[in-house]
Amino acid sequence: MVTYLIRRLVFFFGALFAASVLIFILIRAAGGNVAAIVLGRHASANAIDALAAEYGLDRPLPVQYIDWIKGMLHGDLGRSFRTGESVADLVVSRLSISIPLALSGLILGLIIAIPAGVFAARNAGRPVGAFVGLLSQIGIAVPVFWAGILLSLLFGVYLGLLPTGGWVPWSVDPIQSIRSLVLPVISLGLILGAVMTRYVRSAILDVMNQDYVRTARACGMTESQALVQVGLRNASLPIVTVIGLQMAELIGGTVIIETVFSIPGLSRMILANVAAREVIVVQSTVMLIIVFVIFVNLMVDLLYSVLDPRTRLGQ
Amino acid sequence: MTDSAMDVRDLFVGNGDLQAVRGVSFSIPVGGRMGLVGESGSGKTLTALAMMGLLPVGWSTEGRILHDGVDLSCQSDSQLSRRRGRTISMVFQDPLTALDPVRRVGHQIISLIRRHSDAGKAEATEQAKALFRQMNLPRPAQMLRAYPHQLSGGQRQRIMIAIALACYPQLIIADEPTTALDTTVQKQVLRTLDVAVRERGTALLMITHNLPIIAAICDTVAVMYAGRIVEAGPVAEVFSKPRHPYTMGLLRSQPTMDNIALDGSSRLPSIRGTVPPLQDLAIGCAFQPRCEFATDKCRLETPKVIEGLSCWHPIVLDAEE
Amino acid sequence: MRLNVSLIIGAILTFCAISIAVVSTFWLPYNPNLPNIPNRLLAAGSAEHWLGTDVLGRDIISQLMVGARTSIVVGAGGATISLVLGAIMGLIAAASGKIVDETISRVADIMLSIPGMVTALVLAATLGSGALTTIFALTAFFTPSFTRVARSAALSVLQEDFITAAQLYGRGRMPRVARHVFPNIAGVLIVQFTLYFAAGILTEAGLSYLGVGVTRPGISWGLMLSEAQNQVGVSSPLAMWPGLSIVIVVLGLNLMGDGLRDVLDPKLSKSIL
Repeated sequence: MVTYLIRRLVFFFGALFAASVLIFILIRAAGGNVAAIVLGRHASANAIDALAAEYGLDRPLPVQYIDWIKGMLHGDLGRSFRTGESVADLVVSRLSISIPLALSGLILGLIIAIPAGVFAARNAGRPVGAFVGLLSQIGIAVPVFWAGILLSLLFGVYLGLLPTGGWVPWSVDPIQSIRSLVLPVISLGLILGAVMTRYVRSAILDVMNQDYVRTARACGMTESQALVQVGLRNASLPIVTVIGLQMAELIGGTVIIETVFSIPGLSRMILANVAAREVIVVQSTVMLIIVFVIFVNLMVDLLYSVLDPRTRLGQ
Repeated sequence: MTDSAMDVRDLFVGNGDLQAVRGVSFSIPVGGRMGLVGESGSGKTLTALAMMGLLPVGWSTEGRILHDGVDLSCQSDSQLSRRRGRTISMVFQDPLTALDPVRRVGHQIISLIRRHSDAGKAEATEQAKALFRQMNLPRPAQMLRAYPHQLSGGQRQRIMIAIALACYPQLIIADEPTTALDTTVQKQVLRTLDVAVRERGTALLMITHNLPIIAAICDTVAVMYAGRIVEAGPVAEVFSKPRHPYTMGLLRSQPTMDNIALDGSSRLPSIRGTVPPLQDLAIGCAFQPRCEFATDKCRLETPKVIEGLSCWHPIVLDAEE
Repeated sequence: MRLNVSLIIGAILTFCAISIAVVSTFWLPYNPNLPNIPNRLLAAGSAEHWLGTDVLGRDIISQLMVGARTSIVVGAGGATISLVLGAIMGLIAAASGKIVDETISRVADIMLSIPGMVTALVLAATLGSGALTTIFALTAFFTPSFTRVARSAALSVLQEDFITAAQLYGRGRMPRVARHVFPNIAGVLIVQFTLYFAAGILTEAGLSYLGVGVTRPGISWGLMLSEAQNQVGVSSPLAMWPGLSIVIVVLGLNLMGDGLRDVLDPKLSKSIL
């Protein structure tokens, strides 16, 4: 267990380091002269140099890298070129929207996927099971933004039940904020649910074929009791892994769904800054997302080891 | 009816067109011990699973499985679940995969006891400890808190046996209980099982292809071939005077000190050919293609069961041979 | 052998999509970028424009056809480059010593922990948006998965076949290893390719929808949806066609991938999905 923990932690920090170097190199080296990009083609050489000096962009890259990391560790994510605003301040208010959105989407996805996957597994080989399988295949093929557009057409435009987009800050009217999040969360949850249903189905199918499920039934459990008490408990291991794998899908989906419903979350901010070539803002916010994803993966590993006595106690 | 722990009549087990068990009948008296022998694919395990009502999806049965005054073959899953582990229980072949890997073994046995009785948690724990002690498991209290992966194969199989015995069932089905274990451990586990079953007067159905085990433990034996019982009777009789050519072949292919030459020059006699695929079985005796005594009659007519034997040309042996 | 329904349906859908993309290179009903204001927002079913026109009067069918081409070129492009790179890396990892193997595997792990959308945004910020950037982003995202799959498939081949593996050691062995291993892992890679082709199309649509993928004069289904969304109140059918197109093509490829997996490797279908 201890060696396992140490190995996971080493990987965690190694991944953070490697990812930060990668992002830094991509943005700084591949992007060319940052100050020139920001100021545009017609800027004078003097103006470019001045901006570069102001933001420390004229120093050697390794120094800049270390500076950036030092800043990140202290919560200083740099400043925007155009407005001079602190990136950290921008990020915090955006996160209060993006995190609830992403988390609720993930939870809704699980609420859909676990029963649907179990149902499909129990009915494997029958028409109803195949039907759930087909539904999940279609769900995987539907782009999350199209789901969002269709839902906003149906519930927003035709039925007029929910806002088609826009955002009321939490501090102004929390009820209205929640209403604004309903459709985005449903879109996200439906698509994630479709993807995860397949994994849950195969995890359950796999577990239910194991000898220990037969033993459980030989000990007097009915088929449904064995499914819930033995099957789901054992299938929770692969399912937890899937949650980790879904992080990429979740982040990508959140980025897109914020645009569909014009919700001013973190990703809208990143997109605006990508368009404006605000590389410092993009670099820092993107790194934040990566830290989050790598952290979630670490948590998933730890949760796995808690759930699985074989990892927890060693073979 | 009450004098038998299990009475199987004309059992058929099939999956679609595939008939893997074709008209098996036997009876195990209360406290009796029967061995079921046969090569892999002969239908032994399916017979056992049919008795437990645990056939894999797609398989179905015909015939009657009389146990404890009811016909198990027409009971629902929930009715069966109230019997499984209580009046009839089973020990599986592979102890490495038969226990739930994410639960303590104590949980698995205690929850079984509580499911089938009104014992409280403390009482069930005491019962489980007593069972473990009986199974010669060291430090029962600690053992209860262990996860399967922390135990050896022999320990796990003892736990499986403890679980099977926990509710004093009328019948225990043991399906190759020691095949997956080391030879030295095999004997100890078998002895434990033997003693525990004898003490409780529990009937035992021992499924194996290992004839010495049957000889050591069982009173009666049934030899299965391609889904049928070809010969049955008291162990002493069948093993000393086999009447069916297949039984004879099985007995000959067992390694004993007599037929292993020390210089390694001799080869163990084996039955020529292999078990036929079940879908290819036509009329006639299923063993006929491999039988040295086969005649046209064997090819055309399925032998009837007479005095526990299903063969047109029984071998007549002197006990001395 | 039982007919594989998924494979057949998937192959038909994929074939149709590719045919439409091919036709679009030499024939289109109209210039898809040519505005025609008097004919704007024609409903589907009109004599000249079967599926109608958009807010600037541009023909929908022509745009859908070019969109199919974009999707297929970007999706197949990203998947192909990743397949080649991933197969090479995976093979090197499987056939080399522990250090090389560990390095390649860990780098792949790290790259996999960066969400594809994030990579795409970073690349768009530095290289600017466009089809080529999207292909780069897909490559960065898919290559580690291909590497993993190729590595584990190659490892199992080399372990199973240890006598041959022993003969394959020695100087300049990599080409010989490749010649021996590739035929055995081709099935796995083809299945993986089909599924990532589909994922690439979805990603491209998403990026173009966000405005960091394909932009005018290029045409993408995602871009069409983004333009249509600004008009949804006016003409919701505009939001139907490109979305349906994406669903059909992606569904077709995924069904084909599943079918291929069942046909090529029954063992795999159980272990992965």
